[in-house]
Amino acid sequence: MRPVIILTIIGLISAALLATVADFTKEPIAIAKAQMERRAIEKIFPFQLDSLRTLEAAGTSFFEAYDTEGTLKGIAVKSFTEKGYGGRIEILLGVAPDHSIIDYKVITTMETPGLGDKIDKERFRRQFHGVSLDGPVWKVHKDGGFVDELTAATISSRAITDAVHTGLELINQQYPNTAAK
Amino acid sequence: MNEALNTLTRGFVKENPVTKMLLGLCPVLAVTTSAVNGLGMGLATTFVLLGSNVVISLTSKMIPDTVRIPSFVLIIATFVTIVDMLIKAFSPELNQALGIFIPLIVVNCIILGRAEAFASRSGVWYSVLDAIGMGIGFTLALLVLASIREVLGSGTIFNMPLIGENGTPLLVFALPPGAFAGLGAMIALMNALEKKRGVN
Amino acid sequence: MAEYLLVIVSAVFVNNVVFARFLGICPYLGVSKKLDTALGMGLAVTFVMTLSTAITYVLYHGVLVAFHIEFMQTVMYILVIASLVQLVEIVLKKVSKPLYSALGIYLPLITTNCAILGVALLAIQEKYSLVMSVLFAFFSAIGFILAIVIFAGVREKLEDADIPAPFRNVPIGLVSAAILSLAFMGFSGLVK
Repeated sequence: MRPVIILTIIGLISAALLATVADFTKEPIAIAKAQMERRAIEKIFPFQLDSLRTLEAAGTSFFEAYDTEGTLKGIAVKSFTEKGYGGRIEILLGVAPDHSIIDYKVITTMETPGLGDKIDKERFRRQFHGVSLDGPVWKVHKDGGFVDELTAATISSRAITDAVHTGLELINQQYPNTAAK
Repeated sequence: MNEALNTLTRGFVKENPVTKMLLGLCPVLAVTTSAVNGLGMGLATTFVLLGSNVVISLTSKMIPDTVRIPSFVLIIATFVTIVDMLIKAFSPELNQALGIFIPLIVVNCIILGRAEAFASRSGVWYSVLDAIGMGIGFTLALLVLASIREVLGSGTIFNMPLIGENGTPLLVFALPPGAFAGLGAMIALMNALEKKRGVN
Repeated sequence: MAEYLLVIVSAVFVNNVVFARFLGICPYLGVSKKLDTALGMGLAVTFVMTLSTAITYVLYHGVLVAFHIEFMQTVMYILVIASLVQLVEIVLKKVSKPLYSALGIYLPLITTNCAILGVALLAIQEKYSLVMSVLFAFFSAIGFILAIVIFAGVREKLEDADIPAPFRNVPIGLVSAAILSLAFMGFSGLVK
């Protein structure tokens, strides 16, 4: 019987200790996560960001960015695609209040370094600037769309086009009122 | 004092957990794409090793043999979870880079190995020295492999660029084959050096 | 259906546990000297990996999430895996002597096989459903078998090769693994 009791005691001490540490680090973890998200969003939007409102909906996170006067200057959304060369690609997409794209940032990717991972380069990203959901064909050049694919990384280019497109659709569903007329 | 010094330093090179004892190779291969990640993983593992060695050397007399391994694993898992939460709180970027390899420190054979082979039958003081020595040895191995892979594979060191915008790094070193081949070459080099020293 | 196929191909080839995720390297290098022991280890891993992922999945959602004690995840998972390995050993001994003598010696080694814990954690991280998690675990194990059996074949050939002394055993094993992982990189892009 003694072994079982000892093991139980160790288990209880462990649980109590971890509960304490979890309680203690709960706030720092939340702050760290929020700061990381804010840093990512600040990189996307060209304007001075004052406050950020987070909204969890449709299985993803939306971030409303306000300036010092409290006007909505941009919306960011976490979007993803499973169609990458290495599988899942997650991005943070930022749009203006009229739902035209400002910029995006790749959060996680398994694309081939040096080829497919260039989807995060400014040179590739800038062709999305100012584009909206309605208008162009959301495909790469090769498939008859507007996106100039990266050399030797057509699949990654298709995938990022898909991720951005999905992000725009998510925003359109969540914020139908502000959609450009 | 000599014995204490030996306990501390033997993990650096002579009994290095990676190149000599071949323990904990999964994180060595997985997180060594950049020097920062290698260093972070090494330090996290050292912290867990220190905690588990101290607790186990203090309590091993109270733990019956039949539940020795489960008890050790439980103690190690507790320290790993603490490290996990601390990294999440104070370095979310490192947390993202190391991913599931932080909780996987639990099954790093170095930690259970040191608990079994050393801490459970030694005093606290020596267990601390052993943990620090082995931790430094592990961190050193990670840092060396990670630096080589980062310089060759990404053309940077500690995220500082070494080659110009248009330079092309040797990508393969940043990819899985570079990890396997790099570690293989590193162990072979250690073997060769040891043999040379043994002959002289 | 396509979604399931995607996970299967990804688990076996594209994100192979050994060559892409770097999990289970210790048994991969340790028990791959002979083809039949490699296969035995592979089968034992398949068994425990599938079962432990299913059990930890249910416990994660049924206990940890329900009581808001997600921080106990690592502790609980490793305990589940350790006790499961013991349980499997006892049951196997009683039920099937031949199976026990075939897999028995590998079972204790499995507790510290990081592929088991790793796959169980990944299944949660990827937010798979229960069915998907079990499929993912089973085919990840198949990927492990594939890796270890190919490697054992390579190593049996290496036995006769004249290798420079410092490279003997593990270093040459790692270099061979590098070439194999290079070959497996050719599979990326299969899933799209």
